[in-house]
Amino acid sequence: MRRDMLSSTNRFTTPRVSTRLLPATLLAATLGLGLAAGPSQAQDETPITVYGVKSLSGSNASYGKYAEMGSKLAVDEMSATLGRQIDYVSIDTEGNAGRAVRKVQEAIAQNGARLFNGATLSSTALAVGKEVNSAGGVFMTPAGADEITGSECNSATFRWSVPTYGAIQQTLVPYIDSHPDAKRFYTITPQYVFGEALLRNAEKVFADKGVEHVGNSYHSLQEQEFSGYLTNAMAANPDVLVLLNFGSQSSNALRQAVNFGLNQQMDIIMVWSSGLEQLQELGNDNIDGIYFGAQYWHEVDTPANRELVKKVKEAYGVTPNYPLAADYTMTKTLLQAVADSGATQGETLIHALEGRTYQGPTGEETIRAADHQVLKDYYLLEGKGAAEMTDASDYADIVSSGQSFLSPAQSGCHL
Amino acid sequence: MLNVYLFQILNGLGLGMIYFLISVGLTLIFGLLNFVNFAHGAFFLLGSYLCYTTVTLTGNFWLSLLLAPLAVGLLAWLLERSLIRRIYHLPHTFQILVTLGIALIIQEVSIMLWGPVGKSVPTPELLRGIVRLGHFAYPQYRLFLIGFAALVAVALWLLLERTRFGALVRAGSESTETVSLLGTNIFRLFSITFALGVALAGLAGVLSAPLRGANPFLGPEILGVAFVVVVIGGMGSFGGALAAGLMVGVVQSLMASLWPQGSSLMIYAAMAVVILLRPYGLFGRA
Repeated sequence: MRRDMLSSTNRFTTPRVSTRLLPATLLAATLGLGLAAGPSQAQDETPITVYGVKSLSGSNASYGKYAEMGSKLAVDEMSATLGRQIDYVSIDTEGNAGRAVRKVQEAIAQNGARLFNGATLSSTALAVGKEVNSAGGVFMTPAGADEITGSECNSATFRWSVPTYGAIQQTLVPYIDSHPDAKRFYTITPQYVFGEALLRNAEKVFADKGVEHVGNSYHSLQEQEFSGYLTNAMAANPDVLVLLNFGSQSSNALRQAVNFGLNQQMDIIMVWSSGLEQLQELGNDNIDGIYFGAQYWHEVDTPANRELVKKVKEAYGVTPNYPLAADYTMTKTLLQAVADSGATQGETLIHALEGRTYQGPTGEETIRAADHQVLKDYYLLEGKGAAEMTDASDYADIVSSGQSFLSPAQSGCHL
Repeated sequence: MLNVYLFQILNGLGLGMIYFLISVGLTLIFGLLNFVNFAHGAFFLLGSYLCYTTVTLTGNFWLSLLLAPLAVGLLAWLLERSLIRRIYHLPHTFQILVTLGIALIIQEVSIMLWGPVGKSVPTPELLRGIVRLGHFAYPQYRLFLIGFAALVAVALWLLLERTRFGALVRAGSESTETVSLLGTNIFRLFSITFALGVALAGLAGVLSAPLRGANPFLGPEILGVAFVVVVIGGMGSFGGALAAGLMVGVVQSLMASLWPQGSSLMIYAAMAVVILLRPYGLFGRA
């Protein structure tokens, strides 16, 4: 297993409240409120409301639906664990940053919303994070652009997923190291903050490794027909086609690349896949021999992941995928911090999250205090043919995994 | 070596034939019925899903090419008899509201039946190869699509121009009252035309499934493309749908090399230019 920790990790800068102190904390909070408002309005009876910012419609809706399942599972679990009413409210981004921000503003202004998680697209996450920060709330997101915990970081925003820098480092670097004959790389990139960030990091890797970047095709965020861009790639005659898009766009780009026979002429790497959900959608014909970057894989052997797989199978009868695991972990972590700190917004809750280490699905995960980035593994998978599968979810093997993060100073985050 | 721009034009013509298939049903329905069908993309989606189910159950893509458009056309016929014919006389805004509702129901039912995650349909075994043109490769399946769409175009032209049914449809698009007064059951003609137009959307969905898969949220995007083609070609014009489909395909494909990030945008720019120069589209009439 590859471990390439490039950064300082700034662990445990702020002590967290131990879960063993939880009953005492809650008792103290109850007594405190009881003095002011009487026993019937004790704090542990005040419902907590989590707002899930999910792409429930639009081109990334399948991602949002699983993310929603993850958040709801965590809410139910934490509600039972803490013995406290926790409400969950969905905000459908419709795959559009502008609409997402308007709905978040409404929730803040009309309902006093302060606890948010989700956002599929980086553009949405950046915009929502700013709004939540202005309102003094907390927002946890799985979105990928470096800026979220880099140059555009803010106190309210926390990010679970490995950002684009780590995704590129943990896919292209191990691939290039193990394929010395691959010298010519072509990229297909969506032109928005996430795609630009992946491309910038990929170009740096190409330069560092001394391989040639023979061309790039940008496309819009609405594009679903990739034959024109694949023609550009064929004209450049690369050894490797690198897909830097996401969701239905990367699925259609790969499906059409296979249709054009590009998988017979070159290797294909999808740097940021949605994991199992996407591999299931594409099917064995389209994924056999293709490399996929992944934030999460259900076969990772950690205690928390084994437990998560069991819970998800019991609750939904499916194997957990990336959006489900990401939003489950974020929602659970957020609610645990609420319980530990007794706060549902502001500095107290933010400090409770900063430096927190917990057992996550990828192993031990730590929220870096300096930029609010969760430090966790990223995986390089290789897709399998139907004959190689040992069970219904065994779509890929883990080729390598590890952690690569820019230090907060390098990423430009100043909290 | 084959020039990349020449290949993009070839690719664009293939893409254009797919766009023609997607939009011809919409323009047929508008031409005769003066009815705006916002559920067109949803019927395309249903065609894709029925193709997926048929291929999953039988492993036979060609069977789905027959069954799925028939099933979608039958559903459309039932809808026309029970609901759509009641709103022909209403303004277009009402028609849009009703068909948008139908589209949402089809989308949500698709999620219930097939789940939120899209499905892939494998390319038929017979057409899995590629044709090599210098550095470039073109999928056999896309070549088949071009040929098949051309056949559909010829068959539709013959149906509309050389048969009694076609003559009635054309006469009906000019004046439904006159055709009705001459003793033709105009409502039956409407039912058949609506079912045929929607079945063509289902057929396009089947043929696109190996390229795009089946996804519950395909509908709005397909509807957008279909309307662009129909508006450029002229609402209700069969020849216009063909010319505009090819034009949109070539513009999109060429722009992928010239200005990739504006490739989709240029489709709408082309539509704006056509509307400015010919407000009723290339083949449309006032």
